[in-house]
Amino acid sequence: MSRANLAAAFAASNQHVSPFLVLGDPTPEISFQLAKAAIELGATMLEVGIAFGDPSADGLAIQRANLRAMNAKATTPVAFSIMKRIHAAFPTIPMNLLVYGNLVHAAGFERFAREAVESGASSLLVPDLMFEEGEELRAVCKTVGLGHAELVGPLSEPKRIRKLAAAVDAYLYLVAFQGVTGARTGAADSIRELVHRTASGVEVPVCVGFGLSTREQIAAVFEAGARVAVVGSYLATAIEAGVNAGPLGDGAQVLAKFRAAFAPLVGAVAQ
Amino acid sequence: MSQESILSPRKGAFGAYGGRYVSELLVPALNELEEARRTIVRSSAFKKEFRGMLRDWAGRPTALTYAPNFSKLCNLHVYLKREDLLHGGAHKTNNVVGQGILAKRMGKTRIIAETGAGQHGVATAMIGARMGFETVVYMGARDVERQAPNVKRMQLCGCTVVPVTTGSQTLKDAINEALRDWTANLGNTHYLLGTVCGPDPFPRLVRDFHRVIGKEARAQWAESVGDLPRAVVACVGGGSNALGIFKAFVKDAGVDLVGVEPGGHGLESGAHGATLLRGTPGLLHGARTSVLQDEFGQILEPHSVAAGLDYPGVGPEHAYLRDTGRARYTSVTDDEAIEAFEILARTEGIIPAFEPAHAFAYLMKAVALGDYEAGAKILVNCSGRGDKDLDTYRKLYGHRLAGAGAKMGPLS
Ligand SMILES: Cc1ncc(COP(=O)(O)O)c(C=O)c1O
Repeated sequence: MSRANLAAAFAASNQHVSPFLVLGDPTPEISFQLAKAAIELGATMLEVGIAFGDPSADGLAIQRANLRAMNAKATTPVAFSIMKRIHAAFPTIPMNLLVYGNLVHAAGFERFAREAVESGASSLLVPDLMFEEGEELRAVCKTVGLGHAELVGPLSEPKRIRKLAAAVDAYLYLVAFQGVTGARTGAADSIRELVHRTASGVEVPVCVGFGLSTREQIAAVFEAGARVAVVGSYLATAIEAGVNAGPLGDGAQVLAKFRAAFAPLVGAVAQ
Repeated sequence: MSQESILSPRKGAFGAYGGRYVSELLVPALNELEEARRTIVRSSAFKKEFRGMLRDWAGRPTALTYAPNFSKLCNLHVYLKREDLLHGGAHKTNNVVGQGILAKRMGKTRIIAETGAGQHGVATAMIGARMGFETVVYMGARDVERQAPNVKRMQLCGCTVVPVTTGSQTLKDAINEALRDWTANLGNTHYLLGTVCGPDPFPRLVRDFHRVIGKEARAQWAESVGDLPRAVVACVGGGSNALGIFKAFVKDAGVDLVGVEPGGHGLESGAHGATLLRGTPGLLHGARTSVLQDEFGQILEPHSVAAGLDYPGVGPEHAYLRDTGRARYTSVTDDEAIEAFEILARTEGIIPAFEPAHAFAYLMKAVALGDYEAGAKILVNCSGRGDKDLDTYRKLYGHRLAGAGAKMGPLS
């Protein structure tokens, strides 16, 4: 089962740079190519999202990524089919799925979780399902063997962080900045402090995301104890630049911009 | 095909609806607000200030008006609760006064809000000016264009209007944007949500600030009419004016509670905002409620000629009242609403907003539908006045003015 991929990855390495990709952005085909490129560049984990029209936790770059995927008709079944392709090509790479609650709710919790597992997902994070409202979904994830993650933020109290950490079986996702997703430069010191405070208090792996865009930030979060660094908005912006560079074609421009943005970041992993 | 997700909301549940379907990042803000609701809002000092400001600044109580001519047309006895006479021109003011005082007492210096038609935006801008808040209103870029006069009113009150250019550029996107702002700025900012939607505690908070509508109406009715009304009727967008007037009558089993949804171009056309009649359970803007969505859970764009009813969700308490059968929901089309808008103006000299025009349109056919016996006494919430809609009326229905005028007498 794909959940085992996650455990194996954590056993194999302490530091994973994970791109966040909206499945189907800018097209299902190019989206697959982007995942492939990321893995070939050294990504040892993927975070993938299913496009949603009302992504209230996301900033502009990822809102637009969602919109591009929706315009390319990347519905939930299409997203699952892209995951299946990625999983078939890279069967040991963990895929962590990030999906807004209403898409999961509309599919039916159980059906959605089963299809996620069948598509190769290792874990599920629903960013707009706070812990107290997530009990039913957590139970379903357990039943079908899908890992689940919870989100904490800069304002989450230590007690609450411990409580959520005790409930997850995939990882704890720490949002590095109070706000929505979006690349932010600098601020490595404050992130370091936050990550250290969070990671040192829990046993489960801590994944850090929202706002990472530089090698220095990524090095800092690893140094502070994070085990996964997720880069989303920065890459969505690179994809957008590729889309705007001319006709999509086979996605050569998009892939070039993506590679140029991602390659230096993977280098942040201590070898 | 979609399957049922087994889910019971934990926080602020109305049966299977309500809850707090938000990011963990918003939890501190919601906890703080809930704490303030339980302590500040219940304090006598708050209540005194709230009552005082509703009276002296907002102009409460509003009248209960018998509509003799419109009644004859409907074959009913129709009484209007005149929220159109409230400062700002709609019931929305009750809520902004309550939340404004609350935000001040919570020590917030900045308020943000969403608006579709601009009514709630204007109300928020007014209270922001009065109470000295920095005020930011998010408004879909398409609505900024459609509702230009209200943008001016907000700006006059010193408020910053931010056009939202993402998504469908309408009310739902404005709410998303307000939620994003709140997440980033929850320390100094209160999100002054405009209806009985959103994550707990908003549906209860906003409802309670509107209870004054029903309380007043009930007392006025007892004094000037007598027995209880046969039915209480209100339009439903997010559902705040309806809940505000319903709540005072929920325990009176003999009183029908009727919510009128925007039927747009007709329920079969797909272009409507009839969330309770045609929606399915879903998670939208922090609540589990009845939602207009496709089979995958993507939110659909609603349609109504009344911008204030043009919302793909609805307050979770309405979904609950629907399921329990305590309230009944029906719809009228754009055209029916506009006709009622014209007729109320011509027969009573009251120009209602397009939103409550939906409630009046229902009353015009209620007897024919067999819903009420002729002569039944009905209380209807006239939730706002129509000034804001005159531009739209002229643009979309201006040609009817001449025709209607010929039949019903000159306009000028
Ligand atoms: C006059 C008026 N009535 C009704 C509504 C609909 O809102 P609700 O259903 O919350 O009362 C609005 C919203 O803008 C409004 O302006």
